[in-house]
Amino acid sequence: MQQFTLIFVVHLTALFASTACIDYDGFLNMKLEHSLNCNDEKFCHRGSITLKSIRTGVPIIDQILFNEKHLEALKKLANEDEFYSIKTTITTGENSKGTEYLSSVKAQAFLENGLSDVINAWILPNGAVIAVNFQVANSTQPLKQATNEYKLNSKFYLRYIEQAPVPDTASYIQKMERDREAREKGEMKDNRSFLAKYWMYIVPVAIFVMISGATNPEASAPAGR
Amino acid sequence: MGNLSINLKPNFMGLLKCLNSINWFIVFFSLINLSMCIYEDQIGKFDWRQSYVGRIKFAQFDTVSTARKIIVATEENVLAALNLKTGQVVWRHVFESTSSGNIQLLHLSDQIITVTGSNPYLVRGWDLSTGVLIWEWGLTLQKNEHTDFSEWWVQNGLLVHMVPKFGSHIEVSVYNVATGHNRGATSKLPAVWINEGCVLSPPYYTCISGSPGNQLLLSMDVTSDAVQIISKPLAEYTTARNGNLNPFDTNTVIPGFLLNEKIILIRGNKFEAINIAISEPSASVALVDSASGPLVLQTWNDEAKGFTLMAHNLVSGQRVNEIGWSDRSLSIPEPELSAVICTKTAREQHVCRILVTAADDASHLIQQEGRVLWTREEALANVVAVEFVDLPVSDLDAAIESEFDQKEAAKMHSSVLAAFTRRLQSQFQQLQGAVRALLAGDAAAADEPPPLVRDYFNLHKIMVLLTDTGKIFGMDNLSGEILWKLYEPNLNTEAAVMFTRRSARHPPHDAYLTVVGKHEETGNGLIVSLNPIRGTPVGEQTLHLDVQILQCAVLYKADAQKLHALILLDKDENVQILPESSAPLVENMYMHVADRSSAVVRGYALRHDGERVSAKNIWSVDLSGGGSQRVVWSVSKPAAERIHSAGRVLPDRSVLYKHLNPNLVLLLTEGPDPVHKDVVVATCVDGVSGGVLSAHVHRRARRPALPLHSEHFLAYLYYNDKQRRHEIATLELYEGPERWVPAGAAFSSLRGARAPHVQRHAYIVPAAPAAAALSATERSLTDKHVLLALSTGAIVELPWALLEPRRALSPAGEAREEGLVPYAPELPLPAEAVVNYNATLLRLTRIHTAPSGLESTSLVLATGLDLFYTRIAPSKTFDLLKDDFDYYLISVVLAALVLATYSTKYFAARKMLKMAWK
Repeated sequence: MQQFTLIFVVHLTALFASTACIDYDGFLNMKLEHSLNCNDEKFCHRGSITLKSIRTGVPIIDQILFNEKHLEALKKLANEDEFYSIKTTITTGENSKGTEYLSSVKAQAFLENGLSDVINAWILPNGAVIAVNFQVANSTQPLKQATNEYKLNSKFYLRYIEQAPVPDTASYIQKMERDREAREKGEMKDNRSFLAKYWMYIVPVAIFVMISGATNPEASAPAGR
Repeated sequence: MGNLSINLKPNFMGLLKCLNSINWFIVFFSLINLSMCIYEDQIGKFDWRQSYVGRIKFAQFDTVSTARKIIVATEENVLAALNLKTGQVVWRHVFESTSSGNIQLLHLSDQIITVTGSNPYLVRGWDLSTGVLIWEWGLTLQKNEHTDFSEWWVQNGLLVHMVPKFGSHIEVSVYNVATGHNRGATSKLPAVWINEGCVLSPPYYTCISGSPGNQLLLSMDVTSDAVQIISKPLAEYTTARNGNLNPFDTNTVIPGFLLNEKIILIRGNKFEAINIAISEPSASVALVDSASGPLVLQTWNDEAKGFTLMAHNLVSGQRVNEIGWSDRSLSIPEPELSAVICTKTAREQHVCRILVTAADDASHLIQQEGRVLWTREEALANVVAVEFVDLPVSDLDAAIESEFDQKEAAKMHSSVLAAFTRRLQSQFQQLQGAVRALLAGDAAAADEPPPLVRDYFNLHKIMVLLTDTGKIFGMDNLSGEILWKLYEPNLNTEAAVMFTRRSARHPPHDAYLTVVGKHEETGNGLIVSLNPIRGTPVGEQTLHLDVQILQCAVLYKADAQKLHALILLDKDENVQILPESSAPLVENMYMHVADRSSAVVRGYALRHDGERVSAKNIWSVDLSGGGSQRVVWSVSKPAAERIHSAGRVLPDRSVLYKHLNPNLVLLLTEGPDPVHKDVVVATCVDGVSGGVLSAHVHRRARRPALPLHSEHFLAYLYYNDKQRRHEIATLELYEGPERWVPAGAAFSSLRGARAPHVQRHAYIVPAAPAAAALSATERSLTDKHVLLALSTGAIVELPWALLEPRRALSPAGEAREEGLVPYAPELPLPAEAVVNYNATLLRLTRIHTAPSGLESTSLVLATGLDLFYTRIAPSKTFDLLKDDFDYYLISVVLAALVLATYSTKYFAARKMLKMAWK
């Protein structure tokens, strides 16, 4: 049953590596199992992803190739609109027992997108993984066939959970200081005209005068006819 | 925006005042409502408050002061005075909700004496009539053990504190009540015979001790200087092998106790068995003084006769006939005599006032002949869940609706003639109704309560309140009146949920509401279905499942009877559908379950395979972060939420599209961290696919609380340990300048891998928030406002614009044009934004909001020790004329204008005629 293995390395974008705010470094070992063509067992081997260092986040992905049987089973699932489930077991230096994560994609979508998926592992600053998500990559590439066998096209991203922002008091105080300075400077030469400065007080008064004048024009007029 | 309007308001109001003399302007400006708060004369017009005290623990009648009161101390750690005539709270003191506020003793003399806390204790004296604190002293015991069983009482102006150490000795300390001066230090009385079954009847401490079959009844006066033990074989008093001691519920006369339904008094250092039979083992027995000597009162809930009360003369053993009755109409489960006062009238008749507290936390003050003077539903001090239910339309409206409905349905079949006769018929009915209403006039309308039908703006609703004790109330939202109540003693309301499964919009069918809770004893699912309008059981009625429930939901599709099925996922991951017939409707249904302690969240896909519905575990995430974190909150979006716009327009006329994922769940976890002390992790998970959309960590933070979730934004509070303050974190999810799915297409969580852009920020909350909620309106057209209940007893209404994470510190030209408020780290909590003006609400726990038929208005109910209902208009009442709109003036003005037009026309014609003659 053992198939050829294929090793390829995906270099992560510099974006993730540079913003990594992680307190801990160590190795990360992910064992991937899926529920496809497994004979009697519920889950069987799909591959593994190994990271030598969490901080650098460079994965080594090693996955099986799908044969016709796999594809048959997947097509069967797709016909029933069922899920293709992947179980991941993660072991790290701290956690040698391993923690299990489960994720599923629609078999139909997985098949349509040429067995390509995106794997996101979310990691806390203390080095613990909270979730491993499999999602179908939005690529309409056809199935890659290499002598009867189909290559799984997986992309792996290690997502570091960042620190949440805190109330930004320091820069606010700085801004207040700047504003105050600007005001002090500005107060010296506020050379706007009188009207430009106080129009908001003048206009209501003017309206008031106009209206009180308009409502009783006869009262002030001389009585003579 | 809020900031702006708050600053602007005084100017505008000043301007208005200045124009006050000119009525024209008042007419014009009355169309624009500028104020956010209410006017003084509007107090109580849209809102009401009900004060509660909690289940009564100790109660005593105040016989000293002139204004008759009952002084109560409650399990909610409240000391209050209730008006004897009305039952209303005269004054109230709310102590700490923790054990330090626990009331141990309530004693009434010329002042009220209370002992609160549990080592350290606080002894306080209160004024009887005003409730003002007169004096206070503290007491800290050196040894903290055994204080759980300690007892307090007041004897001859001295406060006695007794700490029994079982199997060893009793420690008794006597203090001067007012000063705390320790009179004779602490004395240790040797008593190896005391155990946990002992009862105190001051000053006697009584126990049953010895080997079975050879037991002794022992009693000791713990305050006397010489240790004197009364000892008698138990067999002298009871034939039962095991004696069971019980104190009286109220005793103001002679020390005594109950031994297996037998009254035994201690008189002259001797036990004295009284030959008065206790009719029911569960009866509550009280010993009270009256003019004709001490009386023994007993009460219980008889299955056949209902609530029963009986009285005997203690000396003669004779039944006192004028006190004692049975009432089938009173439903007082497990009554307990909290306080009794008996006097005698001029005609030598006993007059008793009895305060009875029931298992449903209700307190009733009952007078002679079983007349209930008042009832206090103290269960409402602990509301767990609230559901606003629409009222049914009136019969006439229903007839019109059904007519048009039929027309729609049977357009093809019915003839024109049939439709015409129907039209005539219903028109005749309407005419009849109108005539009847006219004839009945205003007199009838004023006396009768408004009928339970929907009003034009759908502002009148029924609030169904589920309380901690398992009592369910139906309450009128406009008056706060209790319409119906239903007590379900077996219902454990911990984590209970309520669903409105059918609204009253479907006339032939009644409204249908379901409470899903746990059974008190077994912990299995208990489902109560009822008609929320009348409070009568419907459908499944009370259903006790034989398995524990893991998760429950309501099916989004209704069946032929317009009933939404209830889906239950049980502990063995089996699915139950109620009613069973709705099973074929299950399609595309997903559920998730978060385990609080292990922090593992599992997602299930539900599928109907033609026969039954099965759940398949399709995803699981482990938020435990190495085992230390636990889930504190899990919030999804409110069901059936409407979204008005899919994006926001930016100053450059482009649109920033919101990420409106209906399946988004916010999970808040907290736990210790080796480096950063405590951390809080907020994770946004898609409830269908299990995909994490965003996650972030708050370092040195604790107690994440009060999550809010609506549309594309989320907010939650936490306590910043480093700065020692409360902060609110806000998030907004955006898709970006382009839509992921075309307009109108359904959102699918399973479609593909795309992460939304997350905007986030944090603000300082300069107060201690106790509850939070978002305003809800029917079409979400109005702004969203956040209601924050503070521990000071105020509810502050804040516009979301102030919490927006997109607020920049110094907005550049474009952002300024968009109207974003510049960033300020502290949230303003202005006094004008307090919706409950000066009506302080104590110990608020939750705020519930519901939409009304008016788009501008959202209904709000705050629960806690008090209930407070009001309505808010986040974007002002744009669809409603102002409350004091001057109809009279505007009609006079209009009439005058018309008159002026015609008169000028006439005069103009006359002038023209004169001109022509010239």
